[in-house]
Amino acid sequence: MADDAAVKSASELLYREALYLDTHAWKDWLDLFQEDAVFWVPTWKDDGEPTSDPQAELSLIYCSSRDQLKERIDRVASGRSIASLPPMRTAHTVSNVLVEEAEAQALRVKSVATTHVYNIKKREQNVFFSLQEHLLRPGQDGRLAIASKKLLLLNDYIPRMIDFYTI
Amino acid sequence: MTPQDIEALVDDRPADGMFRVHRSAVREKAIFDLEMEHIFESSWVFLGLDCQLPEKHTYFSTYIGRQPVVVSRTADDKIVCFVNSCTHRGAVVCHRDSGKARHHACQYHGWVFDSAGRCVDIKGQKEGAYTDAFLREDHDLRKVRVGNYRGFLFGSLKEDVPPIEEHLGDIKTFLDLMFDQSPDGLEIVPGPVRFTYKGNWKLQIENGTDPYHFTSTHTSYIQILTKRTKSNSAALTSSIYQKFDENSILRGAFTFPNGHAALWGETPSSESRPIALNFDAVAKRVGGPRARWMLHTRNVSVFPNVQFAENAALQMRIIRPIDVDRTEMVTYCLAPRGESREARVARIRQYEDFFNPSGFATPDDTTAYEDCQDGNRNDALEWHQGYMRGMAAVRPGADEFARELGITPLTSIYGPFSLGDETVFHQTYRYWRDKIASGMRAKRCQRELEGV
Ligand code: FES
Ligand SMILES: [Fe+2]
Repeated sequence: MADDAAVKSASELLYREALYLDTHAWKDWLDLFQEDAVFWVPTWKDDGEPTSDPQAELSLIYCSSRDQLKERIDRVASGRSIASLPPMRTAHTVSNVLVEEAEAQALRVKSVATTHVYNIKKREQNVFFSLQEHLLRPGQDGRLAIASKKLLLLNDYIPRMIDFYTI
Repeated sequence: MTPQDIEALVDDRPADGMFRVHRSAVREKAIFDLEMEHIFESSWVFLGLDCQLPEKHTYFSTYIGRQPVVVSRTADDKIVCFVNSCTHRGAVVCHRDSGKARHHACQYHGWVFDSAGRCVDIKGQKEGAYTDAFLREDHDLRKVRVGNYRGFLFGSLKEDVPPIEEHLGDIKTFLDLMFDQSPDGLEIVPGPVRFTYKGNWKLQIENGTDPYHFTSTHTSYIQILTKRTKSNSAALTSSIYQKFDENSILRGAFTFPNGHAALWGETPSSESRPIALNFDAVAKRVGGPRARWMLHTRNVSVFPNVQFAENAALQMRIIRPIDVDRTEMVTYCLAPRGESREARVARIRQYEDFFNPSGFATPDDTTAYEDCQDGNRNDALEWHQGYMRGMAAVRPGADEFARELGITPLTSIYGPFSLGDETVFHQTYRYWRDKIASGMRAKRCQRELEGV
């Protein structure tokens, strides 16, 4: 178990991440990630296990740099992707936060995310729920940042589409 | 609804330069039911690949039209298909997407079937006071006819269908162009992806060979590529569409009997193709022209339910119509067996980049299908005008590109990418119309015969 201060700062980072996604504060969201951060959403295999090796198996999303995440943001923000025109309204709820100390000042944070998504154009709502695992590490400025985020989407029979901000 | 009503849905007058499809084709439940009966449940439907059955007693479950089926490798190493519905009272017997089992026991009253679908145990048969008439019945799960072309597995609920090779015809060449990229054939990259959309299944059939939408539906993707080319960052995924220019790239299409169609194009950045890493070896094995065709983009539609898109990467998509306005897509990343790790990683990243309901292109396609379904709710406009690009350029039979491949399509067309041909849909809709109408007529004859 991590100490109270670590738990507090880790939880706060996760809540902040959720807030930035829900308010479409894309730049602030991106700034929470380290330059070479991994953002990974595995798929589920028929045997009931999620894929575990992104270099040999398929993922729904696998980004291994902030630049790649920025492409996703630019696409949504461009107003040219009809799948996000207009962008969905979302409410990310993060709970069951458990913080463990990992190697070299890093924190491993497990949590449950429930994301309510409202599709304005279709006047339709969906819920996605996932198990999340963040690895947090102090960046150059000493602030805690996301070194990796793995999001295991539990309801992966996907209506129409998902994106980094709807899950 | 009569056969004439179905025929009237396709306004097919090539001599007048006219080809239209009626909007009710994507909207009417009665038409959907006829499609299920006379197309999906009366002819060959794609099931999956034989690599999904790697050893004895392995199986996967899928659908033929509305009917759940199981495809299984038996104790004597034969691939069989049977209806996934218990002979006793109809419960689905096999509940997993895939797995390995010598026996499938029905969870309701416990009848047991082997991996060939044969009934091997009826619980309490002795005590059951059955009549001789019951004992004389066939208790096995109903067999489905299987066709296997180089590991591409098809099933037909109707026994009386032509051999699979004949049904596929020259579209086989396009299956070969995928299969022969490795001497050992194809495999599935682990991790299927399933998604649904609120639209008719034919919207996906059309989009799969629709070159016209790319520059408008995928502008956000093209924009990303332009930025990637400028930034030249190694951290970003390389795409075969980098250097895309719609005026300099050649694109063509072929149509075939039985509703099949293929779209091909020059690849803007063919050096980004995973097989480019291994091109010389491939060319030596299959010959230069075939190897070049492997570098081309190819979008292949095997009517009615599977498409293979080898553009950004190689995708297999199985289309399952659920209702007239609801469709399930089961999608797979395919790869040549034994490719290098470098090629495999590039392939997977390119696949995720473009495809997937979470990629940079597919969600925009899917959204467009739903927009079409929404816009088609009424008959205020009767006809779609979306089938006439290319009509003044298409020609019957083979062009020089078809001859290079050694195929004889029903029609051929080529031109710059911006031609955005739509004649590629014509044979599909003709087959669709004729198959339903002839099925309805045959059924009526049958009824009349039985009536006398
Ligand atoms: S329904 Fe299968 S045993 Fe009764
Ligand atoms: Fe598309």
